[in-house]
Amino acid sequence: MGHPTYPRSADEAPASTERWTPLSRIVHLNDLDLLTRETTDPASLARLKKLGLAAEDTERLKAARAQAAQSVGARWLVAYERARQRYGSAVAAVRDRVCLGCFVTLPTTARPRSGAETVTTCESCGRILFWG
Amino acid sequence: MTLGTAPIGYDLSLCIPNLKAKGKESALAEMVSAAHLAGAIREPDLLLELLRVRERVGSTALGKGVAIPSARSVTVLAPRLVLGRTARGIEWGAADGHPVTLIFMALAPGEWREEAFHGLIARAAAVARLQRNRHRLLSAPSPEAVAEVLRGASA
Ligand SMILES: [Zn+2]
Repeated sequence: MGHPTYPRSADEAPASTERWTPLSRIVHLNDLDLLTRETTDPASLARLKKLGLAAEDTERLKAARAQAAQSVGARWLVAYERARQRYGSAVAAVRDRVCLGCFVTLPTTARPRSGAETVTTCESCGRILFWG
Repeated sequence: MTLGTAPIGYDLSLCIPNLKAKGKESALAEMVSAAHLAGAIREPDLLLELLRVRERVGSTALGKGVAIPSARSVTVLAPRLVLGRTARGIEWGAADGHPVTLIFMALAPGEWREEAFHGLIARAAAVARLQRNRHRLLSAPSPEAVAEVLRGASA
């Protein structure tokens, strides 16, 4: 495992998302959708305010989300949106070969080869899989 | 630097007693990197970008020198509170204008509901709210001493 590197002065540097794999782009979109729900759902927002945490500038989140969706590309965006509409969250982590979205054990052949840029979906629930 | 498990309800297993970072985003990067090296997360670039976007939505500084940046993502393998400490202070856009000296980074897996995620954040906030705890966390001489303070604070 290589040591991650970051810009030395990262305070203004934009993310270098161009070199992200298709799956990374999808995961980022999913992350932003989770954050959107967290910062727009009234009950969630009320809790954040009570904790003293600010979350008012959702326009910037919308812009980041739009950019992330565009970077995913039409092909995977359809599968992503379909799963998101259905489950609220389109991406599921996999632990010990179990899809954490539907808890079905995935076949050994489901895992993409290491380093492969393949995006896989759960054959049971259709969520996009993140093999952590 | 690993603290082992402090019984805060969740494994508070990461502490960086002296952050090298001088700015907010480089502090986030340093803490994400530590979480990655500890095996708590995958895809540090993705997590860092999420934390950056979160900060743009609104500052996670609570005031009184405390910030609780947070991220919920499938790249997080298990819930973690990562504690970063900096004597010099980092500008974090706090409402009280004070630089931040204690940073609790709350990381939750993507499958966690908002309530659970906010529960993790609330635990950090509860510890940080008391001036006595902040003082003890800032003056603890070692990660072990930090763990001791957290253990006492969350008992
Ligand atoms: Zn599934």
